[in-house]
Amino acid sequence: MLKKLIKHELYATARFLIPLYLIMVVLSLANRLLTNFDIFRGPLNTIRILMLVAYVISIVASLAVTFILIILRFYKNLMSEEGYLMFTLPVKTSQLINSKLIVSIFWCLTSILVVISSLLILFATNQNMNIFWQAIDQTLASLKDEFGDQYILFIFELLLMIIANLFLYILLIYGSIAIGHSFTKNKIISSFASYAVINTAMQIIMLIIILFLAYITGIDLEDSSIVPKLLFPTYMIMSFVFNIVLYITTNHIFKRKLNLE
Amino acid sequence: MSVILECRSLTKKFNTTIALSEVNLTLERGRIIGLLGPNGSGKTTLIKIINGLLVPDSGSVHIAGMEPGVESKKIVSYLPEKTYLPDWMKVSDTINFFKDFYEDFDDKKAYDMLGRLNLDPTKSLKSLSKGTKEKVQLVLVMSRRADLYCLDEPIGGVDPAARDYILNTIISNYEENASVIISTHLIADIENVLDDVIFIKDGHLHLHEPVDEIRKKEGKSIDQLFREVFKC
Repeated sequence: MLKKLIKHELYATARFLIPLYLIMVVLSLANRLLTNFDIFRGPLNTIRILMLVAYVISIVASLAVTFILIILRFYKNLMSEEGYLMFTLPVKTSQLINSKLIVSIFWCLTSILVVISSLLILFATNQNMNIFWQAIDQTLASLKDEFGDQYILFIFELLLMIIANLFLYILLIYGSIAIGHSFTKNKIISSFASYAVINTAMQIIMLIIILFLAYITGIDLEDSSIVPKLLFPTYMIMSFVFNIVLYITTNHIFKRKLNLE
Repeated sequence: MSVILECRSLTKKFNTTIALSEVNLTLERGRIIGLLGPNGSGKTTLIKIINGLLVPDSGSVHIAGMEPGVESKKIVSYLPEKTYLPDWMKVSDTINFFKDFYEDFDDKKAYDMLGRLNLDPTKSLKSLSKGTKEKVQLVLVMSRRADLYCLDEPIGGVDPAARDYILNTIISNYEENASVIISTHLIADIENVLDDVIFIKDGHLHLHEPVDEIRKKEGKSIDQLFREVFKC
């Protein structure tokens, strides 16, 4: 059933996102072509500028719509009247959350990939790519300087952290909406309030734990090796814990405290 | 005859208001049951609990022996009082959706009924009036071969001509071992199709009897009896 839920979720979201992503790619192609023709001088140059502005807007719009859609789909499809349809399907509540979560992560990653590809379409020349690879080399070199042999660990942890954070922020939104809607009144305001409270609480807990660990292990807070050794692992474990707590909370509300309007 | 729905001491409160209080109810298969009561008497709460949209504070509910959950949802076909289909879908999208999720959904039957009601499956729901959307929902719900149909205000928003057709479909569609619960205020319209009636008043079960017996005993129609029992 999860597969079917994902299929329908993809269908419901793709109709907004695919056209937007296509526009972005087409605009990057058009801009690339325009830079090749050096015929735009004087007033004609405004065409080139306009095209570039349109391209930038298309990037911003794609990312913004992706983000808004993640929130809106969860709210509208599960907590509004459509919830009557979704929650009476013969599926588990966890499958409803999973389908939304998986599709949200998919679109987050896709939007990033599309932006990178469109930037490559626009800027990738031999010369530019050389500069790009040089910059990567330099970053790696400075990471090596900073962390010694642990720089691989640093990169690995960084990637893991980005993924964990992506899950965390989506689940934070889901959890806040679910908590807000378990109230009988002011459901939307309660959702925003829940978001603010949970987010702040998470930051404070994280800070306290890191300071506490630094204190008992006696690690020098000035030492840069603290980042891969203490900061990242703690952060990762904590976001893992937060992810699980938020997921279980959302599922519990859906199962036991659902109160559709 | 076997039992399709059994409620034991079912109680549900919202903050301080009691929506259902100690409801004991046993429904058998093969019956069309009218769930009748004034606004706010607990009809929708009961139906939502049967469908797992609300969890009771105490007491239990069993559908064909199962607590509300994935398995019970496979055999219960529910029509909420809301227009609950996503607006952006075409009518045919909603049919595919139901076909995907409900094994007992008969898409041929659905297209048949759409045809009878002169509804165009290629239209998007956005373009339909509220009453037409309700017809589409009813078509979807009645195109399942469920064991229990829960219809919350199924005819409230549709015109009298469609009402007759819909009631006919409800009677002719369901099978011997299925039951239909219809919650409505429009008693006179559905009185003739009902086997049993349930009167529900302030969250309490007031009466649950076969229609024939009520007529024999009281010598009046359900509509008249309702007006007396729930006199303001």
